Amino acid sequence: MATIRVSREGGQMIDEIEWKAEELDIVERPNGPAMAAIIAAGIGALILGILTTLNEASTDVHDFLEIDKDVGPLSGKTLFAVIGYLVAWAVLAPLLWRRSISWNTGLIITGLLLVGGFVGTFPKFFELFASE
Amino acid sequence: MELSNRETWATLHGMVFGALFLLAFAGGVAGLWSLRPEWVTVNGLQERMTRLRLGVTTMAIVAWVTVITGTWIVYPWYRAKPPSGTTDLTEYPRSFLLETPGKEDWHEFGMEWKEHVAWIAPIVATAVAFVVVYYGNQLIVDKRLRYTAMALFVVAFAAAGIAGLLGAFITKAAPLQ
Repeated sequence: MATIRVSREGGQMIDEIEWKAEELDIVERPNGPAMAAIIAAGIGALILGILTTLNEASTDVHDFLEIDKDVGPLSGKTLFAVIGYLVAWAVLAPLLWRRSISWNTGLIITGLLLVGGFVGTFPKFFELFASE
Repeated sequence: MELSNRETWATLHGMVFGALFLLAFAGGVAGLWSLRPEWVTVNGLQERMTRLRLGVTTMAIVAWVTVITGTWIVYPWYRAKPPSGTTDLTEYPRSFLLETPGKEDWHEFGMEWKEHVAWIAPIVATAVAFVVVYYGNQLIVDKRLRYTAMALFVVAFAAAGIAGLLGAFITKAAPLQ
């Protein structure tokens, strides 16, 4: 409960607003669904990073990823990364739906996957693997 | 005062969808940060939750729209190869940057990073949207869940921010006409 008193300048009037205590019912859910979603996001990012680097390292991969001529290999990299993300989520969600897993484990896995994704898409990194 | 078809799409991609995502980020983080029972009433929390659900879902959708329009509509114009013998490269931004001394890095580093890292934003933003929509009021009492959502929100923003900033610089160096 909280009370707010409002004093107007001049002291002519004092209003009083009173809040009554309220209740909010929350049903706690296991963290599995959240972990499935965020680990899958990390997997999607990592796939993007790996494909970006492989595209640079191999002309075969480059040609394979060129699904659309106008967009170039970016079309395949992004398409397969999104598919990988959705498949990972579809696989992990039912496995973890009613379970809780260690926060630290889940967050470390997600963090590593995301770092892998960022590093793999960084030009100074993937250019190290550029084929001649 | 007219915009060509290419300019219109580039503007929609960067200055409407992309900017909307980046601007909404501050509201999303503030919403998650202030979702604390000790700060607001139950009515206030529920009002914030409704706004937060709508906000993060919209942000995830906008992030997808931004990268899809960028990759599949605007990018092909950027990377189009000029016909042989073309001397005026202003309509071919990628070639213009690569052929202009001192501007190569805008493509080789800037565009190469932007076009990839941008896609991390909608993927991560979707995970955040799912967490907010699925767990709802649990975010109010579950600090780890809330902080995780906030941290991922920052990751999505970082990816979009890098892409947006580089996009603005590249557009300045070689406008899509």
